[in-house]
Amino acid sequence: MADVSKLTPGQKVLLQGNEAIARGALEAGVSLAAAYPGNPSSEILQTLADSAHSAGIYVEWSTNEKVALESAAAASYAGLRGMASMKQNGVNVAQDFICNLTISGIKGGLVLVTCDDPSGVSSTNEQDARFIARVACLPLLEPATPAECLSMMKLAFELSEEIGNLVVLRGLARLSHTRAGVTPGPLPEAKPRPHWDPNERWFTIPVVPKHQVMLDKLAQAGKILTAAGVNYYDGPVRPELLVIASGSSRLYADEARRLVGANERVGILHMGATWPLDQELILEHLARAEKILFAEEVDPHLESGVKSIYAQQVRELGLKDFYGQETGHKPPIGELSPSRVAGALADILGLPWQETDPSYLEKAKAAQALVAPRQVGFCPGCPHRASYWSMKQVLAADGREGIVSGDIGCYTMGVLPTGYQRVNAVHCMGSGPGIASGLGKLRGQGLEQPVISVVGDSTFFHAALPALVNARWNNSDYVLVVLDNSATAMTGFQPHPGTGATAMGQAGTVVDVEQVCAGLGLPYAVVDPYDLEATQEALYDALQIGGGLRVLIFRRTCALVQGKQGGHPWRMSVDPELCRGEDCGCNRFCTRVFRCPGLVFDAATGKATVDEVVCVGCGVCAQICPAGAIQARPKEATA
Amino acid sequence: MVPPAASPDLQPTGLERLLAEVINPGLCVACGACLGLCPHLIFLDGQVAAPDACGLSSGRCYAFCPVAQRGGSGESQGPIGPVLGAWQGRATAKDLQGRVQYGGVVSELLALALEQSLVREAVVTAAGLRGSPQGVRVTERAGVLGAAGSVYAGGGALSRLNQALAEDSGHPLALVGLPCQVAALQAMKASPEHPQAAQRIHLVIGLFCTMNLPWRGLRGLLARHGVQAPIGRADFPPPPAGIFQVWSNGAYHELPLEDVRALSYPGCAGCPDLTSEGADLSVGACEGKPGWNTILARTNAGAGLLELAAEKGLLELRPADPASMEHLTQAASAKRKRAAAASEEHPNG
Amino acid sequence: MKTLKIDPLDIVVTGVGGQGNVLASQVLGRALLTAGYEVTVGETYGLSQRGGSVTSQVRVSSGPVLGPMMPDHRATAIVSLEPLEALRLLGAYGHPGVVVLTNDRPLRPLGVLAGEQSYPETDELKATLEGLCGRLYWLPATAAALELGNHILANVVLLGALCGLDLLPIDASEVEAALGEMFPETKMAPNREALAKGLALVREV
Repeated sequence: MADVSKLTPGQKVLLQGNEAIARGALEAGVSLAAAYPGNPSSEILQTLADSAHSAGIYVEWSTNEKVALESAAAASYAGLRGMASMKQNGVNVAQDFICNLTISGIKGGLVLVTCDDPSGVSSTNEQDARFIARVACLPLLEPATPAECLSMMKLAFELSEEIGNLVVLRGLARLSHTRAGVTPGPLPEAKPRPHWDPNERWFTIPVVPKHQVMLDKLAQAGKILTAAGVNYYDGPVRPELLVIASGSSRLYADEARRLVGANERVGILHMGATWPLDQELILEHLARAEKILFAEEVDPHLESGVKSIYAQQVRELGLKDFYGQETGHKPPIGELSPSRVAGALADILGLPWQETDPSYLEKAKAAQALVAPRQVGFCPGCPHRASYWSMKQVLAADGREGIVSGDIGCYTMGVLPTGYQRVNAVHCMGSGPGIASGLGKLRGQGLEQPVISVVGDSTFFHAALPALVNARWNNSDYVLVVLDNSATAMTGFQPHPGTGATAMGQAGTVVDVEQVCAGLGLPYAVVDPYDLEATQEALYDALQIGGGLRVLIFRRTCALVQGKQGGHPWRMSVDPELCRGEDCGCNRFCTRVFRCPGLVFDAATGKATVDEVVCVGCGVCAQICPAGAIQARPKEATA
Repeated sequence: MVPPAASPDLQPTGLERLLAEVINPGLCVACGACLGLCPHLIFLDGQVAAPDACGLSSGRCYAFCPVAQRGGSGESQGPIGPVLGAWQGRATAKDLQGRVQYGGVVSELLALALEQSLVREAVVTAAGLRGSPQGVRVTERAGVLGAAGSVYAGGGALSRLNQALAEDSGHPLALVGLPCQVAALQAMKASPEHPQAAQRIHLVIGLFCTMNLPWRGLRGLLARHGVQAPIGRADFPPPPAGIFQVWSNGAYHELPLEDVRALSYPGCAGCPDLTSEGADLSVGACEGKPGWNTILARTNAGAGLLELAAEKGLLELRPADPASMEHLTQAASAKRKRAAAASEEHPNG
Repeated sequence: MKTLKIDPLDIVVTGVGGQGNVLASQVLGRALLTAGYEVTVGETYGLSQRGGSVTSQVRVSSGPVLGPMMPDHRATAIVSLEPLEALRLLGAYGHPGVVVLTNDRPLRPLGVLAGEQSYPETDELKATLEGLCGRLYWLPATAAALELGNHILANVVLLGALCGLDLLPIDASEVEAALGEMFPETKMAPNREALAKGLALVREV
């Protein structure tokens, strides 16, 4: 990411939504920013980390989202501004702290950024994290453009400090990864010195009076947000249809009314602040329109909130037609788009709407029969492919129908063909070892299946540790496989405790997986997953031992990181004389079963070949070729 | 009855069917005939497994499987098969004593065949990793002695034979195997897709087989009796002993026979062959004569090797006595009957 | 704000994870922003980094700020680093007048490599693309990049080709300047050559 502290104030530049959030934080004078990486939020902290030295702030990759927010709260109590950024799942991890923090209150401005992922493009769910604003009574801002990302971050800090509570800013995957023109403002001249007044105490009791204080803060926030003008109306004075929209959906609605040619009939109430809802503004616009459509992504947050306000005033307002999730005009799942909103507008207003010539649509649809889906898969040379290969072989040889409890990371793809569909369950960070812990205690009830839990090195530190302590304590019978690729690879190679590097590029202390295991009294061994035979022997033996939690560390650096560090040693080739092709004795074992994208079956010759553009030279496939046809030679020797 | 060859109109005769008929129902006897041919069948710790579908409708794995192919030709002879001469014998060499099963005849004959270059390499079964029996390739007397002694557990040794046959070298090979392995070898030799088998396998020494056990089950039983793998050798003394004898790490143990019998491969129940009828020479215990083997010479090659061993003074040979031959024939008949009954119950069992 | 001949000008840049289409769309976005247009570049990535399809949408207007997603079947042009991906995108953004520029080198999906799915023959793929667009530019971008020493330059070759058409309100020198903001001068020589090659490729057509 770029150092956004170096941008010239007043000069418009193309910034990504996440970069604009980072710039907004810097302009607001943030002193401490912490996060756990998770797409689509990762670039926020990375940008801040890359700007940290020149901006003179402290930026940290924390072990998990709860710790990140707690660190940020510490800055707040010391009188500084702090922030934590995370993806929607991270809000759940931090939720316990949030729900107490909102009662105790804060001092310096404190902002939580959640980047939601409608459609789950890079997530295991598409949860709408706006719930946290309602649950914890927190002000909620929803920018629509990178420029608003910047300005709303500044507003969020001001607001937070003014009301003395956490403020939430909700981004969306599209917005996080949208680049648009942003005009940066000035950076603050100087920052306060941190000091926690020893007379200040932050805690939640007595709960009931403090709960009232929390509600008062939210009401106060509503007034400030109204004054800030982040909610505004755009359209005819008395629109036939009022669209109440937030986030990217505001832009989709604007474009949709142009697409269907209804600029004069449709008004849009842009909701930049979606909690608390501006009751006065909403009532004012409800009074002017008979039909109301909601445009927002995932949950009917605006829809239910506005309907609830309407219900209080129904006598004065009279009967209205509401369109949204309840009527099928806003999907309850997945993302919105200009076309989807246009379809809704056309339906409500009785307008003709077609995307293009219907005969073209038919032809284009028919042509999709030629287009094979592009399954995602492990990169060429990925150690996880080798790891799952060994797991598949060993579990088959073991023959007791072993179960693999998965976790979050690139290796989540163990549920897909690229991981031989070897993983039986994946939920959230750290749930793999937890589920395995429970399974491993069903021996007494007669469970005979062996149990493996796979966890990445970063996930190991994020949330696996309590489950491991639980398993150790209760003598749960399973094998923990730590897929240690020395990187948080899925989210962009952020450092983690096991690497010892920190967000700001300084040397931290390496927290060693082996030492943690030793400290917990867990037997462990380290193998290189590229060595299939050794890996399989170790895993088979570990499965046979039984009795309690034992750990195997499959250690091999991420293939992409290896690529940056000088690459793999081998130049791979296939000897066509030896390749058995489709005959009994092989039948395209490497391309059909092993499935590395670096191997291609040449139908013309009936032999496998190596795609030199794709293959990185890890050498693993040479170990699975039954004929010795796939050969690895040192790159230097053949270069 | 199972059709002997693939036909596009009939059921497939590949891995899928091998799984359905033999492996998944638990009837595999770990002979190893399907192993070493392709990467889809693997053998680990005494057990055959197929992690992935192979995608072909016919395959050598099914064609060679003695359990799948049971009920074919070759059992029309008498209960002990073709016999040119029947003998009782034992090895004279001191280095064999205590290490071999019964009279040491198999080890001595195999060592002689290697020394005489009748064959250049032999596949036998020996204890490997975790004590699990597995095929090993030996080329000289020391290797033969290293593998001497029976553990009565399936070791997939034919996998090593398939491996040797897939190599470029053309040297002659020998096999020491159980009746199921000898039967599989006959299917291999008859297969047009496996021409090396007929060309290169010059000597087959078959063993008498009363019981064969899955290694993992045996290891579990041994562990419950405090016996640690690997086991050096094991034996069933004749009735009414009712025990299984194990020599392991210098100690001797006895296990109740019924516990051991309960472990035996379900796939062995349908086996009609006690004496490895398709071998050149068949060798087993000599009932009532501890330290001696019964030897059946079935082919000229087998008889010739036996003669040479006697000439060189390596073996002490006597004609088999009629009473013990009568006993062997009865035992073989009984096994045939049990197999026929089991086959009616379960076509492949 | 300058006016645009086509407004909004919607360009989809697509390909497979790792081919550099996010970079290409960023360069295009920067150049257009510098030229004074309102630009929104929407990128989709996540799991798609791992061999999946990756699509960026470069949206240009002279008026209101546009959202990161363009309406279905309204793209001005589809620029694809992989020919099958061009066809996939026509199913979402194509219309009879759309301009398609595509690299001719297939990158077979994993399911195709595994023999579970098929990849169309070149002639069939090309003909199908032709039947679904106004103009097709079927370009050997990877081959051209390999001539320059690195297959990764195919994205810049296609940017050069796009500059050679009558679609953009900017020319190759403005794209080159945007590239210059993202690469050190030492790495600019092959990028300049790739742009020039792309331009030459469409002039040959």
